[in-house]
Amino acid sequence: MTKVRILGPRDQLLTFALPAVQQTGVLHPVACTVTHPLLATGEITPRLARLRRSLTRVIEDADRALAIFPEIGGAAAQWSGGLPRGARLARSIWRRAAALQREEQALLEERALIDKYSSFFSAFQALSSDLAADGAGYCLVLRRSDPGLLERLRSALHNAVGEGFELRTRPLPGEETAAVLSVPNPAAPAVERALAEAQVEEVPVPPSYGGRSLAEAIPRMLARAAGLPARIDAVHQELQALSRDHRPGLLALRKRAHDLLGQIEALSLVRMTPRAFVLDGWVPETKRATLLAALRDALGDAVAVEELEREKWTDATAPVVFSNPRLFRPFEELVRFMPLPRYGTVDPTPFLAVFFPMFFGLMLGDLGYGAILCAVAFLLWRRKGLAHSIGAIAGACGAFSLIFGAFFGELFGDLGHRLFGLHPLLFSREEALIPFLVLAVALGLVHVLLGLVLGAISSVHAHRREAVGRGVIAVMVVLVTVAILALSGILPRGFFTPSIIALLAAVPVLVVAEGLLGPIELLAALGNVLSYARIMALGTASVMMAVVANRMVGAVGSAAVGALLALLFHLVNFVLGLFGPTIHALRLHYVEFFGKFYSSGGAEYRPLRPWNTDSTQST
Amino acid sequence: MQYVWISLAAALAIGLPALCTAWAQSRIGPAVAASLAEKPQLGAVAVVLLAIPETMVILGFVVALMIVMRPGG
Repeated sequence: MTKVRILGPRDQLLTFALPAVQQTGVLHPVACTVTHPLLATGEITPRLARLRRSLTRVIEDADRALAIFPEIGGAAAQWSGGLPRGARLARSIWRRAAALQREEQALLEERALIDKYSSFFSAFQALSSDLAADGAGYCLVLRRSDPGLLERLRSALHNAVGEGFELRTRPLPGEETAAVLSVPNPAAPAVERALAEAQVEEVPVPPSYGGRSLAEAIPRMLARAAGLPARIDAVHQELQALSRDHRPGLLALRKRAHDLLGQIEALSLVRMTPRAFVLDGWVPETKRATLLAALRDALGDAVAVEELEREKWTDATAPVVFSNPRLFRPFEELVRFMPLPRYGTVDPTPFLAVFFPMFFGLMLGDLGYGAILCAVAFLLWRRKGLAHSIGAIAGACGAFSLIFGAFFGELFGDLGHRLFGLHPLLFSREEALIPFLVLAVALGLVHVLLGLVLGAISSVHAHRREAVGRGVIAVMVVLVTVAILALSGILPRGFFTPSIIALLAAVPVLVVAEGLLGPIELLAALGNVLSYARIMALGTASVMMAVVANRMVGAVGSAAVGALLALLFHLVNFVLGLFGPTIHALRLHYVEFFGKFYSSGGAEYRPLRPWNTDSTQST
Repeated sequence: MQYVWISLAAALAIGLPALCTAWAQSRIGPAVAASLAEKPQLGAVAVVLLAIPETMVILGFVVALMIVMRPGG
């Protein structure tokens, strides 16, 4: 990163300078540190404040309208109209789109309501076609699950109105019966009491068809239903036409509004004299020439770009931008789970990109599971955005699972061995538990030592004693390992005494470098190494689950049921094999590895740049 | 008889840490979920907090295996 200071004529700041800076998209503006009686902070004048409010409204209106529109219409072009016209247009389009959406919603709900009643229509219409028109009609639905209901109803009606009623029934699809009851008007109150007594309810009439009964509402609903599809189609067509005509314009207007808002926000960081402006910012060293060329194009010789000397700024204020080869870039997402590293410290991405999939592969370690993971990863990788990054990470994990699957001779557990005589190239995790444990702890030793060395290197300039302390701990961890290996007979016994003497000699150095907590740091580092035993534990659990799944085929009576159970068990094991290794490989990095060197507290590099839909720039 | 004791020791070596891990995670889980609802950027801390108690049962598993596989086990 380079800190630059841009000086130019004040009257061209908003018209040329800031747009040019924004167009290059490389300058991360910061508050200017120069103090001078003539220099004042670029204040937001009432006119600019009004403009900001207006732009915010334009963005809100455009967002709301675009959320309603179907994705019809071309891509965003350049907004050529003025902003006041744009604001009016955005508001009117949003209102029209919202009205159409409301109407479409209401029509769809109405259609759903009529659909709900449609099964009753034909039954009730047939039943009531030749009933007396001058009496009161009731449409009822009776449950067939209550066989005595019809008789109870007849009896209640008979008691209420004698022979003066007509009840017709017709079975409906399902467990219900439609019934139409016709009585003379004067008998209506007594009939309603009888219906309540028999616990029979009349079919409710939708409020929007406010007739007295369903019998009156049905013809209205049928007439309405006939016209609904055409009306829904017309509203939908109108919404599509509106989108076709105005979506590109709204997209362009929204982008223009976001860009202007970005410039106004940057204005508060600019210092000004009555005639000139000063803008400080960070730019990646490789992009400095691009910025200078863009400013020269916009302002000619009236602008000066000065690179501030390293002594005038401190590392703590510089923003951080990851710069990794393409292969490692997806793993930056995993580093971003942590607070950003401070500027000038070690970027752990390349190490994480190597060790994370390796640990994952050691834990999953199966040709079958690895192949499935690779296939899933490929599908994700073909998509855009975060899914692409996850796909790339999963692909690396799948590849390592395949490699270690070959080393351990596993294809869905011991299925490969049973069916194809697959043999391990290294050792079988099912049997060689101690070698697997030694491998896991040895990897942990390498990983922790690497962390300590990185910690020593990253603090060698700023914190010499800390660097020495990290180095001494690394050496002592190696000495402890040598002593244990000598004691267990793997190394010649003669190594034991010298390593113990060296350990004792290193203790005072450690205390001087790290203080009284130094020995505790050493013990913590040794504990961290042992923590890598989890790789062996999870790996063994994974292979044992797969073996148990395979044994299910012969364990239950039917081979088909056994195979189904085995498949289910393998599926569960695969899912567990994704979550467990991911969480524990991350933990080994975040706690055991990063703890040795990672220095958080970096500010994110957020250049002033043209807005786009993926932009995280807050405006 | 020795076989019984070895089996019991292995069962205790993994069983007790498993209970402790379950208890710890039952306390951590809701707290982490509540924290993540307010600050989603604490995702890494959540992973670490949930994985820390699992260390107990994982090391218990390793110890249990070593008990079972010791000479005479």
